[in-house]
Amino acid sequence: MDVRSQISMVFHLDKCIGCHTCSIACKNIWTDRKGAEYMWWNNVETKPGTGYPGKWENQEIYKGGWVKKGDGIELKGAGKAKGLSNIFHNPHLPSIDDYYEPFTYKYLDLVESPAGDDQPTARPISMITGEPMDIKMGPNWDDDLSGSPDYARNDPNLEKLTPAEREAMFQLERMAFFYLPRICNHCLNPGCVASCPSGAIYKRGEDGIVLIDQSVCRGWRMCVTACPYKKTYYNWSTGKSEKCILCYPRIEAGHAPACMHSCVGRIRYLGVLLYDADQIQSAASADDADVMHRQMGMILDPRDPAVIAAAKANGVADSTIDAAQRSPVYQFVKEWKLALPLHPEFRTLPMLFYVPPLLPVMASVKEVDNSAQAEKMNATAKYWPDSWLYDTTTKAMFGTIDDARFPLQYMANLFSAGDTKEVADRLKKLMAVRLHRRQVTVGDVKPETVAEALADTGLTPQTADDIYYLTSLARFDDRFVIPAAHREQAIEMMEFTGDVKGNTGFGFKSGTAQRGA
Amino acid sequence: MRPLSLGIGLVLLSVFGMPNTLSAEVSGEAIFQQRCSACHSTGSDRLVGPGLADVTSRRDPAWLKRFIMAPDQVLASGDSIATALFQEYGVAMPNLGTTDAEADALIAFLGAAAATGGERTQPKTIAVATAEQILLGQDLFQGTKRLTNGGPTCNSCHEVTNDAVIGGGVLARELTTVFSRLGGPGVRAILGSPPFPVMQRAYQARPLTDPEVAALVGFLQQADADHALHQPRDYGVKLFGSGVIGALLLLALYSLLWRGRSRGAVHQAIYDRQISST
Repeated sequence: MDVRSQISMVFHLDKCIGCHTCSIACKNIWTDRKGAEYMWWNNVETKPGTGYPGKWENQEIYKGGWVKKGDGIELKGAGKAKGLSNIFHNPHLPSIDDYYEPFTYKYLDLVESPAGDDQPTARPISMITGEPMDIKMGPNWDDDLSGSPDYARNDPNLEKLTPAEREAMFQLERMAFFYLPRICNHCLNPGCVASCPSGAIYKRGEDGIVLIDQSVCRGWRMCVTACPYKKTYYNWSTGKSEKCILCYPRIEAGHAPACMHSCVGRIRYLGVLLYDADQIQSAASADDADVMHRQMGMILDPRDPAVIAAAKANGVADSTIDAAQRSPVYQFVKEWKLALPLHPEFRTLPMLFYVPPLLPVMASVKEVDNSAQAEKMNATAKYWPDSWLYDTTTKAMFGTIDDARFPLQYMANLFSAGDTKEVADRLKKLMAVRLHRRQVTVGDVKPETVAEALADTGLTPQTADDIYYLTSLARFDDRFVIPAAHREQAIEMMEFTGDVKGNTGFGFKSGTAQRGA
Repeated sequence: MRPLSLGIGLVLLSVFGMPNTLSAEVSGEAIFQQRCSACHSTGSDRLVGPGLADVTSRRDPAWLKRFIMAPDQVLASGDSIATALFQEYGVAMPNLGTTDAEADALIAFLGAAAATGGERTQPKTIAVATAEQILLGQDLFQGTKRLTNGGPTCNSCHEVTNDAVIGGGVLARELTTVFSRLGGPGVRAILGSPPFPVMQRAYQARPLTDPEVAALVGFLQQADADHALHQPRDYGVKLFGSGVIGALLLLALYSLLWRGRSRGAVHQAIYDRQISST
């Protein structure tokens, strides 16, 4: 057992309101620079939709992630032989049009235009060329055009759905969407690290954050292809690739990453997981249906004495083990089994987990006989000649999961490699917690119904209350349990701090500033 | 105040006034050494072109000045003297870009030289080049050995028909028979101080050294003498054609290797439908 620690995340999609505050917080801190204008280390997608970059989930286009080969796995579009043969021309890179051409507006024209008959307008200007341009695409285009045939219906996750299911999703009465915020998953088996010809990408030993060393990166862009989530980006100005750094300077100082700190819906949780690194290879090489279960199996119980002993033997700090025991991520992912990784079939073992959204399930659609109603309509009346009823008045208050407006298969394609049972289990738990709380606060649900729902999902009223607390009431320190980074020890591994002891000023990495004259 | 302005005036006069007051003869001689001496002597000896001992009295001064300044135009105009000279010497005098003032200075210098009967610019006699020198000259011509002062190699502009030389330049004259055309002294003089504007500019700050000149003259003499024996193969159009075919083959190979590459944006169809404002 090779116990290591990983800073891991849970995004509770039921709570995401799609405000993009996380994206803006990240942009303002990290990517508001020349060459990085088009990058959104954090972006929020509207599902169903094609995403950013367009159709990123379709690996037949972008060749990201790992594929099974024999007993092992290999990178789909990069790696030693493929990487070398494509090193001077990587044929599967997303182009700027696949992301979007970043733009701003010529606002000064609004105030500086001479007086005239027409209102001055602020023309869109490309942030790459500086020339006026036509806006074709934006980083959250699905948000603006969700449901349109061009975007929502081209969602790669619709592929495994039957034509009838697909058609039903886009009926006006059944139309639903939810938000999917994405950052780098800081995977346990990262494709970007494996693909880099320069060896510039590494996974930090102490907390598992995946970083690109900017002084080693040579801009081969194999990582851009290899990452199935398209979360490494090439900076055309510096000629190097960049990615989400999980705000490690903030984490090391005990602060939550900017996207999580700023989250309006408080959907984000961050904490430490202890995992068994010996199982990475076998888990990543498991069958498609098994990868997700094997990944969950790698996450170890931080209260197990054997795990603690192995962690200590491996140099994991006591403070990290303590943080792992209080980790909200461990509770969501392992204890309550409420969260799932995004696209586990890419085999990178992503360490960002999502609680699937229940909200679109709330109402259900029933087939009814509308013919009597239709006969009363005259020729000019506007009505839909179908026989669906958008029903929010089911007897069981919340309807049933199977009648969901979102086909379970769609959620399963996103979160469990197509296994609908896993998604249904989690949605049922979420619903059981709601029923329980409804009974506690309002009391109009029969106690038998609640007891049945809880028993069915294996929850106790106490656990349901815990889930409710962490979902709805949790405070900052409950949502973010950040272990001490022990920088004082880390620095001693690389240099002798005694060298600067007694010297003036602060800072030991770069020389102290000369103050005054 | 007054002594100061007087001092400044003197300094200014010494800086700007002096060159104008210098005699034309000095600069005339310098110009002659730089541009003319490769082909002409001030005596009656015939080098590449005629000796210029009594040229000022032989020719009409106005014609002489015109010829010095633009010999190509005079020859092209069908001037009888120029045509006769061209037929006699077989080499047309290049246009050296001599200005009006420089031509006056040259004529003044030539007149003075005729008066003193000067034979000052007679070239030295040339020793026969050794085998090592010829080999060195061949290397220098091809650029396999770099010129000491960093000047451009000969074959970047010139071609010599010789088995040892592959692919000379076509920017300047072909030099296979230059030795019999211009003679040893002429070639040596041209290499020592090139009279042609382009060559002058190319070697201005990077002149050839004396051993290099001797080696190159030796090589050119050898090439001239042996040129009947040397018939390097001329690939001509075939070389160009094989380049084109090779490039096409490579492109075909690349398009086969990367046939699965992504073409256009994934949303290209949507973009194509969008209305452009421009």
